[in-house]
Amino acid sequence: MIYEVRHVTTYAYGSTVTFSHCLLRLLPKDGPGQTVFVTDLLIDPAPARIEERLCFFGNRLTSLTIETAHRALRVEARSSVEVRRDPPPAENLTRAWEDIREEAFDTSTLAPDSPAHFLHPSRFVPAFEPAAIYAKESFGRARPVLAGAAELMSRIRADFRYDPKATIISTPLSEAFEKRHGVCQDFAHIMIAGLRGIGLPAAYISGYIRTIPPPGQPRLEGADAMHAWVAVWCGEEWGWIGLDPTNDMMIGDDHIVLAKGRDYADISPVAGIILGSREQDVDVSVDVVPQVQEEA
Amino acid sequence: MRASKQIQAPTAEDRLAQLATAYRPLPFIPDEFVDEWGKPRPHWVKFLRSLGDLSDDEIAHRFAAADRHIHESGVSYRIYGDLSERTWPLSHVPLLIEADEWREIATGICQRVRLLEAILQDIYGEGRLVGSGALPATAITGSADYLHPLQGVRPPGGKYLYLYAADIGRGPDGRWWVLGDRTQAPSGAGYALANRLVLSRAFPGLYGDMNIERLAPFFQAFREGLIGMARRSDPRICLLTPGPFNETYFEQAYLARYLGFLLVEGGDLTMRDGEVHVRTIAGLKRADVLWRRVDSDFCDPLELNAQSRLGVPGLIDSLREGGVVVANALGSGVLEAPALMSFIPRLCRTVLGEELALPNIATWWCGQPHEREDVINYMDGMAITGAYGNPVLGRPARQPVVGMTLTPQEKERLAADIRRRGIDYVGQEVVNLSTTPVWEDGRLVPRPFVLRVYAACTPNGWKVMPGGFCRISDRADARAVSMGEGVQSADVWVIADKPVEMVTLLPDDDSVRIRRLMGNLPSRAADNLFWLGRYLERTEATLRLVRCLAGKLMDPDTRTINTGQTIDRVGALLVAWGAAPEELEGDAFLLVAQGLYGKEYGSVASLVGESRRAASFIRERLSPDTWRLINDLYSGLTLEPAVPVTEADTFERADAALRTIAAIAGVSLENMNRGAGWRLLDMGRRVERGINTCRFSRHFTGPEAAADDFSVLLDLIDSQITYRTRYLMGAARHTVRDMAVLDPYNPRSVAFQIERLDEHLQNLPLLSDDGMLEEPRRRVVKLAAGVATAQAAHLGTDEIFEIEQSLLCLADAIATRYFLQGPHAARADKTSGLA
Repeated sequence: MIYEVRHVTTYAYGSTVTFSHCLLRLLPKDGPGQTVFVTDLLIDPAPARIEERLCFFGNRLTSLTIETAHRALRVEARSSVEVRRDPPPAENLTRAWEDIREEAFDTSTLAPDSPAHFLHPSRFVPAFEPAAIYAKESFGRARPVLAGAAELMSRIRADFRYDPKATIISTPLSEAFEKRHGVCQDFAHIMIAGLRGIGLPAAYISGYIRTIPPPGQPRLEGADAMHAWVAVWCGEEWGWIGLDPTNDMMIGDDHIVLAKGRDYADISPVAGIILGSREQDVDVSVDVVPQVQEEA
Repeated sequence: MRASKQIQAPTAEDRLAQLATAYRPLPFIPDEFVDEWGKPRPHWVKFLRSLGDLSDDEIAHRFAAADRHIHESGVSYRIYGDLSERTWPLSHVPLLIEADEWREIATGICQRVRLLEAILQDIYGEGRLVGSGALPATAITGSADYLHPLQGVRPPGGKYLYLYAADIGRGPDGRWWVLGDRTQAPSGAGYALANRLVLSRAFPGLYGDMNIERLAPFFQAFREGLIGMARRSDPRICLLTPGPFNETYFEQAYLARYLGFLLVEGGDLTMRDGEVHVRTIAGLKRADVLWRRVDSDFCDPLELNAQSRLGVPGLIDSLREGGVVVANALGSGVLEAPALMSFIPRLCRTVLGEELALPNIATWWCGQPHEREDVINYMDGMAITGAYGNPVLGRPARQPVVGMTLTPQEKERLAADIRRRGIDYVGQEVVNLSTTPVWEDGRLVPRPFVLRVYAACTPNGWKVMPGGFCRISDRADARAVSMGEGVQSADVWVIADKPVEMVTLLPDDDSVRIRRLMGNLPSRAADNLFWLGRYLERTEATLRLVRCLAGKLMDPDTRTINTGQTIDRVGALLVAWGAAPEELEGDAFLLVAQGLYGKEYGSVASLVGESRRAASFIRERLSPDTWRLINDLYSGLTLEPAVPVTEADTFERADAALRTIAAIAGVSLENMNRGAGWRLLDMGRRVERGINTCRFSRHFTGPEAAADDFSVLLDLIDSQITYRTRYLMGAARHTVRDMAVLDPYNPRSVAFQIERLDEHLQNLPLLSDDGMLEEPRRRVVKLAAGVATAQAAHLGTDEIFEIEQSLLCLADAIATRYFLQGPHAARADKTSGLA
């Protein structure tokens, strides 16, 4: 499937901003099952300096400086992406989770994909024992790791209420967990906390899912904004496998990957420092439109 | 004869014997003072014999002098989360270490820091140690100080460590053991220096006799090491502090002053074009080296902790471009994790091809299956610690949990925790560390201690400070001591085997460029100096009002002559200034008491608090005398008053405080270098005095004012005597107004303040050389011209009010031009935009 993605972020400031230094993580890149054809970034006002590089985790990072005085900042990211993923392995083909844990503890690389980076508490996912206890229920002795992770994902979908008004990005994980509600990043953070809590490496993936559902299927949650899900490490042979606890589904051709990190802090789409204004309103809109594919 | 000899004071030998016999080392625990047979060690005998030469009284006297010196010089620390600083508890007995033993320690420390530097180079560089399995990746990534954005970024200057510290203790086998590494931003070196200063002053003779190694050459070498990292001569070295609320801010200010570094906060710095600059009153000035006391994670809100307000946005970018040297390099703190300690002995063989010279406390990291089971099985003989400083069993972080002390249920829970996430735990051998004597109630008692030793990277390689920072605990396990309840510090004397060479720290004449002014004043320091001046002046003005009113109340004539209106007017001014609450208006006595002791924002007690706060932010720029006077002023004015409060007490207190303020003004006038700092401080005073004098003048020379009001005004502006000698008749409106506002020869007049302000502004640096007047100067020139040409006969309260307003605008213009205010560094809010 080929998607056209348009992601617009607009900041309206309370007063004039004289200087702004931003980091954008808005452009997807090629990866397993994903090919990026075109990307484009439109920024108003025009930056004085703009550079692109890859961050440690391999995400495309645009660093820009704006030196013209402005009261509003508009960032539009466009991309055209083809997604064609292999289906995930059968759960029983993955090894016992205790095995995977010991293997992860013994990792001998600090490469960006190494499970070593995704085992420990991170900024938005502190050590939180209740999540570990919750997760442990799905991981009986010697259960295949993916079976446990998939069950955990389903339980989160069943036990938690999707409510876009309930939390904001700064809501602590513990609060969303106790109140059993939140949005995709809360569910992702909770699932990550649970998996790491029992010693399994888990990563935070940001991205998009298709806006218009295929005929006869329900519209997926989170389609009109950025989405987030989890990748769990299933040993050397399978590597990272994506699970979407918000929709209780394995990652397939409806998901477009934007960035990977330990949690939201590593992938936040727009971050930065501005000089001159304290009040600001943010507006975000996302369109993910599948291209009609011509019959061959 | 015999009898008379017996009543003589005991000899030094007697006293030594007495101290030694009374000393009771703890069973099965080695001691520094006495050996295992209870015999005092020779170097301690020498020390105690010299001490024994002094009489009891003299010892007490010297100890008291040491304590006083600590108090007066403001050596202090803060307990995290505490607002007030605490006085430094210093043991009166130093820790003594012999030269031979010290050489072993120093050799071991140098080896260890070479090893740690190599490990850091590898972790952030090629990753061979991890790749070969010598160092598990998960033992590294668990540390909050492992910073992946720095992976592959070669630190400018090429090195990670510049100042390293190790906590060591003597184990039961008599050897020194390394208990922990400090690679982030080791604290305590400045306290060691302060301790030395205090103790060497208390016992100058003793210190001279014992051949104690000096500390100064170490600091000199450290300083040269940092200077050598810069790419230009005469570089700007900054000490980056988290600010005055940090636990060890005193130490940071002390070291900055001692080493001649610029003390800066994150807000003082800005990253432009790949370089880091200090915001100064003369514009942006490049910083070459940042010696940081801010933890890595807080150093760059852009790429690290976005919540941090302590760092420099873009600092990591600047590191990528090689724009600034940071010491210790960001990410160095990763080696502080106890998890790493278990790998050190093996890494020493792998990396250096040497055996570890100074043993490491035996440590097992539970990330490995074999070690994990060992720790669980032998838990009773272990202390379990978080592998990265994380808490164990929900206990406070960094506090080791001794297996032996746990209940069976706790043990079971801990074993389950360790089995679940072994990577989070280490087991360490429980060792009894040696004790050292402290002086308590006239005798020596043994206490456990931890010694922190320092190594600096100098142009001639690693140098170890001959001495250190010793923390003595009143608890049996000294490993977890940080400064807090029941902990004291001790000076550490390394006793040389031959007389210590008096190394002169004076450099060659040729190598030093003569300079008369010290660099450019950072904007934040300028801001605080200016406000210190303003607060002190406002305190003075309020004190004058209080004293004046208290004096009136004490004056028997007040009852007979009708000065009620004047009294009301003074009282009303106290209310208008926010010194006393409105509902008290009319009750002169309560107004005076509230104005002096009350909690209102404009009360003397509040203002002196603000003055002290502003001063504390720039402590390194104030002379010790000034700081002491400000503290005296503060303690004098915040002391609980005697009950019942009387007019006389109030008058006395205000009067005494005014004398202290005069002393502060005197010290800054006579002793402060005429740099920009002095000018900003004085400008604060002048602006405030000008504004206050305008207010006084309007208030006491208005249309309803009588002779008594004029007299009060002359009192308030301290011009009574001048007036009387100049004018033989009583006070009249025009003459009084002229003296208070227009007379340029009266140092209390508004005109005089404006002239001084103009003089200061003329002498401050300009941002551009286009010859145009900068805004503050433009305003002051205009104001000066207006005041110089004004005539008292045409000077009404409206005109005075206009001058007052112009002064307020001038203060704003000064703030805009020289200080940081305005552009608040706010982070783009990221609260929405996600599904």
